[in-house]
Amino acid sequence: MATEVILPRLGQGMEAGTIVRWLKSEGEQVEKGEPLFELDTDKVTQEVEAEASGVLLRIAVAAGEVPVGETVAFIGEAGEDVPAADARVEAERGAAASAEKPAAAPARDPERDRGREASVGADAQGQSAFSAAISNGRIKASPLARRIARERGVDLASLRGTGPDGRIVAEDVERAGPAGPAPAAAPAQAVPVAAGEIERRPLSNVRKTIARRLTQAWTVPAFMLTVQIDMSRANALVGGQRELHPDVRITVTDLLTKVCAQALMRHREMNVQFTDEELLVFPSADVGIAVAAPAGLVVPVVRGAERLSVAEIAAVRTDLVGRARDGKLRAEDLDGGTFTISNLGMYDVDQFVAVLNPPQASILAVGATRETVVPRGGELEVVPLMSVTLTCDHRAVDGATGAEFLKSVKAFLEDPGLAL
Amino acid sequence: MPELTYREAVRDALSQALRQDEDVFLMGEDIGEMGGSMGVTHGLLDEFGPERVRNTPISEMALAGAAIGAAMQGMRPVAEIMYEDFMTLASEQIVNQAAKARYMSGGQLTVPVVFRTQGGAGWSPGAQHAQQLESWFVHVPGLKVVFASTPEDVRGLLWSAIYDDNPIVFFEHRTLYGIKGHVPEEIEPIPLGKARVHREGEDVTVVATGRLVHEALHAAEEAEKEGVSVEVVDPRTLQPLDEETLVASVRKTNRAVVAHEAVTRMGFGAEVASVLQYQAFDWLDAPIERVGARFAPLPFAPVMEAFVVPHMEDVLAAVYRTVNKKI
Repeated sequence: MATEVILPRLGQGMEAGTIVRWLKSEGEQVEKGEPLFELDTDKVTQEVEAEASGVLLRIAVAAGEVPVGETVAFIGEAGEDVPAADARVEAERGAAASAEKPAAAPARDPERDRGREASVGADAQGQSAFSAAISNGRIKASPLARRIARERGVDLASLRGTGPDGRIVAEDVERAGPAGPAPAAAPAQAVPVAAGEIERRPLSNVRKTIARRLTQAWTVPAFMLTVQIDMSRANALVGGQRELHPDVRITVTDLLTKVCAQALMRHREMNVQFTDEELLVFPSADVGIAVAAPAGLVVPVVRGAERLSVAEIAAVRTDLVGRARDGKLRAEDLDGGTFTISNLGMYDVDQFVAVLNPPQASILAVGATRETVVPRGGELEVVPLMSVTLTCDHRAVDGATGAEFLKSVKAFLEDPGLAL
Repeated sequence: MPELTYREAVRDALSQALRQDEDVFLMGEDIGEMGGSMGVTHGLLDEFGPERVRNTPISEMALAGAAIGAAMQGMRPVAEIMYEDFMTLASEQIVNQAAKARYMSGGQLTVPVVFRTQGGAGWSPGAQHAQQLESWFVHVPGLKVVFASTPEDVRGLLWSAIYDDNPIVFFEHRTLYGIKGHVPEEIEPIPLGKARVHREGEDVTVVATGRLVHEALHAAEEAEKEGVSVEVVDPRTLQPLDEETLVASVRKTNRAVVAHEAVTRMGFGAEVASVLQYQAFDWLDAPIERVGARFAPLPFAPVMEAFVVPHMEDVLAAVYRTVNKKI
């Protein structure tokens, strides 16, 4: 018996994922534990490992969005029979090919795959992205489900099967109720784009998530606090740490992470999240670091940063940022997080305001450090000043609380011994 | 209503027929003084004498042939084949002669003979003394095949078998001889070709024969605790098959499990599944599940025997598969 490769649930709340590409081809030998395909969830693109050894007999879904639990491939012995290929394989192969040439038409032949077309309609109605039960161009439904659908005029292609292997069973049809008017034919069809016109890029899951979460963040009443920090001693400390730990590349961000974690522990009322019923106060500082990955912004988390040394933080961050840039973060790298640091100093940005990273209650926007003339005791001194802006969820945190936290951050950076 | 064991119920049908009808007589190996290897005919020699309760030499083909000949001559013999496994030795007479005579003679001959036999695992009889070979005989036009699972059914069906004018292979199950059940005061003949709904249910129909009827009833009780309502139907007569009752049940429940102790492959259940899918196709909400023995000669070791033949748990698992329930 061939083993079905099932789309895994990589994190809580994950309902579907998008297969980006297969790392093995049909007919290729696969060992258990080997990366099998790349899966794009709303948080992360991750390699999914094979759960069985054998020959990759058939790829049922070559690319595209798939609900959790659906069979996407079969692994077994060479020559073994497996259920026929999913009609979407061909459709998605076509789509993938057009995606590689963005100037070309992303439009699909409407006659090509009725099931797929129906799924576009279903999507528009806010239902599941597509019917799970389409197999070999034929919808997988029990005879009883077919009869009921026929009698009630329900389009099976619009249904999601809950039976074995996604088969549509009678209950699925009955739940769907009587058919409404047939959905208007594919208004979502994209129009081919001529050269010089607007290029239309489909939104990736990461992009959609960014849009959804930041829109959500915008509805939160927020305030911003800015301070300037003398980085003389912090820079010296980073230099000293680099000498002590030549094997890891320690940066200001690592020191900032450590300092913010210490300050969060001193001001526990900052290490919080607001919910409608209660305020969640977290026991440790899980500091997210905003990374500009090729696919878009991601925020991997350094867990328990208050317990890590600067060098340890640097090692963790190097790993996370490296994997973020390679698109190899795992869902668990992104889960949680009680605070976020967003550093645009390397882009020469003086100062900026970061948008909250919900459900977190605060985020620190870090600008570039500049040699600045500062009057001190009647003298003018040239001091490396760094501007940071703290954005706070005002539902969870008051201005004074934020200010005290920021004061600690400033103090710890200007006199790192205070953080001990 | 009196309570009889399955064994006593068989004996009761035989003795009442012997008492009432001069044409009825018994043949078989060790059915006289010994009362048969399963004790079914115990005491009958004393009451009816050696003319009517006839011990035969150890030759199944010879005793089958003699019984068939007597039937052609107007008697109603009931021949006991000690083990189903030995039906293989008698099958030339049963398959080539008894099953064909009425057709080949253009209806001039009838062969009102009953071949009682028994089999079944559960007591470590090994590979040659416990096979379930009913599918060999349901495949032969001209034979009727009965497999009773309760005292009441075995008595009423055996009576009808004795008085049917066709050759009948009548299967009993070794492990059922001891079970008790109420039977009517007077023998009520149960028509051949009429299934029995043992238990009504809404979600899944289990079509079971022989010992598996009891396993299915047990599984139904377990499933009920999980909210799955199981209907248990025993065809009782495998040939002719009461398609109407089976199909009606599956059209009601929309799901079916077919269960027997015989090996699944090419078994009686395959035919039932075919009948159901054809006549209840538009009512099926899940593939028909089959439960039966693994495709292997029956091992002697009790643990291995238990592994090969199906039990309540196998029926239950099949029931749950049809409703896509994970346990």
